[in-house]
Amino acid sequence: MDLITIAFYFFSALTIVFGAVVVFTKNIMHAAFSLLFAFFGIAGLYVLLSADFLAITQIMIYIGGILVLIIFGVMLTTRITGVDVKTGKIGKIQIGIAGLLTVLIAATLIMIFSTSKWYLADSKPLDSTVNEIGTALLTNYLLAFEAASMLLLIAIVGAAFIARKKH
Amino acid sequence: MIQYIKNIWAGLSSSFIGMKITWKHLFVKKVTIQYPDQRFTLPEKARNRLYLEMSKCNGCNSCAIACPVNCITVETIRVSPNDPQQEVHFNGKDRKLWVSRYEIDFAKCCYCGLCTAACPSDAINHTTEYEYSEYKRENLVYKFQTLTPEQVIEKERLLAEFRTQEKVCHPETDKKPADNKTADKTTE
Amino acid sequence: MENVNFLYDLLGRNIISVVLVISLPLMFVLVYALVAILAELKVSAWIQERLGPMRTGPWGIMQPIAEVVKLIQKEDITPDKSSKLLYNLAPFIIFTGAYAAFAVIPFSEYFVPAGINLGLFYIFAVGSISAIGIVMGGWASNNKYSLMGAMRSVAQLISYEVPAAMAVLSIVVLASTMNMQEINKLQTGWFWNWFIFGGPGTLAKIWVIPFTLGLGLIYFISSLAETNRVPFDIPEGESELVAGFHTEYGGMKFAMFFFAEYANMFVVAAVLTTIFLGGWNSPFNTFMQGPFWGVFWFVSKAFSVVLVQIWIRWTLPRFRVDQLMYIGWKVLLPLSFICFMAISLFVMLK
Repeated sequence: MDLITIAFYFFSALTIVFGAVVVFTKNIMHAAFSLLFAFFGIAGLYVLLSADFLAITQIMIYIGGILVLIIFGVMLTTRITGVDVKTGKIGKIQIGIAGLLTVLIAATLIMIFSTSKWYLADSKPLDSTVNEIGTALLTNYLLAFEAASMLLLIAIVGAAFIARKKH
Repeated sequence: MIQYIKNIWAGLSSSFIGMKITWKHLFVKKVTIQYPDQRFTLPEKARNRLYLEMSKCNGCNSCAIACPVNCITVETIRVSPNDPQQEVHFNGKDRKLWVSRYEIDFAKCCYCGLCTAACPSDAINHTTEYEYSEYKRENLVYKFQTLTPEQVIEKERLLAEFRTQEKVCHPETDKKPADNKTADKTTE
Repeated sequence: MENVNFLYDLLGRNIISVVLVISLPLMFVLVYALVAILAELKVSAWIQERLGPMRTGPWGIMQPIAEVVKLIQKEDITPDKSSKLLYNLAPFIIFTGAYAAFAVIPFSEYFVPAGINLGLFYIFAVGSISAIGIVMGGWASNNKYSLMGAMRSVAQLISYEVPAAMAVLSIVVLASTMNMQEINKLQTGWFWNWFIFGGPGTLAKIWVIPFTLGLGLIYFISSLAETNRVPFDIPEGESELVAGFHTEYGGMKFAMFFFAEYANMFVVAAVLTTIFLGGWNSPFNTFMQGPFWGVFWFVSKAFSVVLVQIWIRWTLPRFRVDQLMYIGWKVLLPLSFICFMAISLFVMLK
């Protein structure tokens, strides 16, 4: 077992364990902070796949952006008002539906996993993926890129509109 | 728009002016005195710890009366003419009162200097000493009397003896001090 | 990606050399933090015409060591109603965030812990980890002041990361690389090859000099805000919030916050040095140029930037929250966009 394999198992375990904590913990703050480690593990996995740009973007966007916003939102609602925000009890019907869905998705995933043929890419270390990603985004995938940016712009304008409507 | 740019310029330039000022202050001679190593030269009339010269003190109690915080305690005994130990003040007059107790509580003293002003014989004065902190408050009560407790008892006994003698021999009292005076002059 | 690292050349790429490469910046941070704390004490004293600490060692130079010893001796307190795990974890997360950035800082031509191609991007990414640490500490303390401090800190960090990123991106456009080592190599030569003076190139670069100078200033101001330094120290704000997010911390955990703050100061100073001030390059062409002198130039440039940060701390008063947001969103952001546009235009036309 070389260092890369050990690192892979470490990051996978990190992701899975903290993902489980996110799902099972009652305290929303603990869930939010567990997300930090889960995201970090995923970033590590990206690095092992030599997707360096993706890994750093993962940290930048998910930890620096989304996670901070989640915590910010939760923090404004909990403790300071004296009420701990916790996940409530779930009814039996919901558990049934969720269980059914989980089993279905898991079955599908396992089926795909076992039936598809896996091609191994030749593992030469990539120099950098930024150039390729940049070129691809501004040539082949320009439409998708622009559509995504339009979506974000609309979301920002909408958020600003909702926030400004005072009366 | 112009206001906006002016604001930015004012903010930036004023920060730079502030930084220039602090930069200059970096090289100004420092005002700190490294206290135990370096000392501030005291002003001529600095008021610090008091000192009483017992040879000058005539026990008049004006310092204790002048003291606004009552930190001076004076107790005196009249000098008996029969006392073998007689003292002369620096100004040539002979001692009328033995100072049996002269205490200054420096925990109370406010260094106003009224006692020094009130003293008729310049016995109490400020010194330049200001480092006398103590671990116990009782240690700040300074005792300036020169008489030992035994001597005090002796003086009291002598005075009491003299008084009884005086009452027995001479009901009129104005003669004795004159006697005393002549006796002193002869010794001189 | 060629990885120039003298330790790998010397010892080969094995576990010992890797550990050495990882721990060298840590030793540097510890020594640097002590020096920076002393500088903070001394500069503040001199600006106020005092002498500062004078009793520990000659001219008081041992004062930081005395303070660290004091902090180690202190009792380790965890507030009763705090969230214990997160409370104890937060200082480590913050220090991790601060220290992670050292992985890509090029100290010399032959020493950079990890010469990855996305160095600058990586520094911005790990900067956000300390933000999480601050929120974690502030929230877990279960104290109103800490929570307020944490929230202010995050709001400030989000706001000022944008102009800082724009400033860095403009230089990335100019240099067309994100590798900090490559950026340094571009600036070799006289000091007018530094990116704050428009970078290397012909006289035509005169058109970008005002913009790069402005970007340097914008990055410096934003970096002050990102490291919670005065005048942007509203997350700590002694007079309003006691000490902000680290009100409840004491002893060694407080020391971790302290070290992280000074490490962060060095990181932003190092980024400023690398992308604007020529990194490990000598300002005078080949004079004192070389791998060993590189460390000297890099550390002295970065430390001068740290000194300027300290100097500003003892000059300017603290901003109000609304002033802070005004500066971030309405002044620095538009200006950085203008500079970015201008530099992009210049690069396109060149």
